[in-house]
Amino acid sequence: MLTLTSSRQTWAHDWPAGVKLGLLVLFTLILFALPGVTLTALGLALPLALATALGLVGDWLRLLRPLLWVGAVILAWHGFRGTPEPGVIAVLRMVAALGAANLVTMTTRLSDMQAVFLWLARPLSPLVPPARLALAMALMIRFLPVLSLRAEQLSQAWAARSRRRIGWALVFAVTLAALDDAEHVAEALRARGGVG
Amino acid sequence: MERSLARIALFAALIAALGFVPKIDMGFGVPITAQTLGVMLCGTVLGARSGALAVLLFMALALLGLPILAGGRNGFAALASPSVGFFLGFPVAAFVTGWLMTWSKQVSTVATFNAAVFGGIVTLYLFGIPGIAAKAGLSLTEAFWSAMVFVPGDVIKAAVAALVTTALARARPGLVAGAKEPASAQF
Amino acid sequence: MESGIHLQDVSLTLQGKPVLAGITLHLTEPRIGLIGRNGSGKTSLLRLIAGLVAPTSGSLRVEGARPSDRKAMLGALGILFQNPDHQILFPTVIEELAFGLIQQGIPKPQALTRARAALAAEGRAHWENAPTHSLSQGQRQYLCLLSVLLMQPRWLLLDEPFAALDLPTQARLRRRLDALPQRLVTISHAPEAVQACQRVLWLEEGRLRADGAPDQVLPEFGAEMARRGAVDADTDL
Repeated sequence: MLTLTSSRQTWAHDWPAGVKLGLLVLFTLILFALPGVTLTALGLALPLALATALGLVGDWLRLLRPLLWVGAVILAWHGFRGTPEPGVIAVLRMVAALGAANLVTMTTRLSDMQAVFLWLARPLSPLVPPARLALAMALMIRFLPVLSLRAEQLSQAWAARSRRRIGWALVFAVTLAALDDAEHVAEALRARGGVG
Repeated sequence: MERSLARIALFAALIAALGFVPKIDMGFGVPITAQTLGVMLCGTVLGARSGALAVLLFMALALLGLPILAGGRNGFAALASPSVGFFLGFPVAAFVTGWLMTWSKQVSTVATFNAAVFGGIVTLYLFGIPGIAAKAGLSLTEAFWSAMVFVPGDVIKAAVAALVTTALARARPGLVAGAKEPASAQF
Repeated sequence: MESGIHLQDVSLTLQGKPVLAGITLHLTEPRIGLIGRNGSGKTSLLRLIAGLVAPTSGSLRVEGARPSDRKAMLGALGILFQNPDHQILFPTVIEELAFGLIQQGIPKPQALTRARAALAAEGRAHWENAPTHSLSQGQRQYLCLLSVLLMQPRWLLLDEPFAALDLPTQARLRRRLDALPQRLVTISHAPEAVQACQRVLWLEEGRLRADGAPDQVLPEFGAEMARRGAVDADTDL
């Protein structure tokens, strides 16, 4: 399924999701308060050490790749301005914060995350009933692969008949599919008792 | 009730699905994808309230760790990167877009384009630019100019949103909220 | 309590177009077939009986319950849509199975236990956490059937249950359906699929064209379809 959770079980998988998320928030707050390059670099060393200890360092590094370009651009920009230090700090913080967050993601099942989220959303329950929020989340997870597959099939259908790049017609077709699917889903919900 | 819930969930999935369409990365960590197009469409098609709720649901799932943001990132990656402001501004952008749709009596291409530009670009950048400044260690002015790189792409997206929305209003009359968001729009 | 499904002079108009007109029926037979061409209103009639669309005029009772009484309707009948992707609402098999039970007021832990037991009884315990979108077409249809059966309805409405299945899967599903204690209303455009029913309804342009035993209705239906096929079938579009 679509998730970043590591399929390899580690000891961190057994920790309660709420504790891990709490520690993550604490870590991030401290990280952004640390002055200077050296201390911030130490902040990055912590998630790196944890990833290594968990035996997940390969996947962990792979998940940081999206930041490569951003980091390079920020460093280049600050180098060009002659202010390398704030640039290095910005990049280190970014990598450390994401690295720590990814560790939580990699060691926590989606359903556990969802439970924490629903717990956090409880104060909102007069506005957003938890059961309905849980249902909306489940529906979205269910239809994400459906709509992605539809987009892919439609782009293949496009490529089969055209040499030009896919235009706005694809967006139209996928959006129409979402609208129509919503009608079917509403009906299927009603057929089984509605959202109550 | 079931219908508005289903529409919110399906459009949250749509934003994610549009994010998987091939992208062009132009630096500063804010890749150009169809994802913001999805945010605009939530506003123009579902209306202000449902549109914003769809975007919030999408963000919630991204923050649970699903890699559904452009470039296969999750919510934490968005919070850690210079695009944080754009991420946090998504629901407001959808809401403003949907609200601006109510200014015109029917769904027209021009009115929808305007709503998408003011909601999906002007409003969104109000959130996005301070984010770039904070995360990349730039001044607001520098952040403003660096963000301008994305404006042409976003104007094209607003135009696509307008074309798609008017075509949908023709294909499925009654399903596009546009000017008249259904009174039953609640979560 | 009144038994069976009663329709009294039911008509349905969708977006200004008449879809069903003047249908009066009393359904009590264990196996009922509903046949007709594409667009004859079969699916609309099924959705109407299930209470998913309200009739424009006329009245409907299912086992004495009005369609607006959703709780009674849920216990009275279940519907299987033609396309399982229009029916499956949840990312995992277990959630999909438990949902209907939870909707019927059963607490979640018990609903999950019953769903697990049902899977185990079918020899599909390993499906529990499988993502629903990874199942094959036949498996998804089967999951839809299990989800509906868990709610223990007295009637089951089936819209073209065999349409997208390969032959072995069709045979398995048929055996399974034949063994069900529920009363079944099955839509098909293929006469052989409803041969074993006690009663066959033939719908034509939203009206009841024939209603009776398969031996009476099906030969006439077959002859009419052959006659239409001989002329250009699309000119009446």
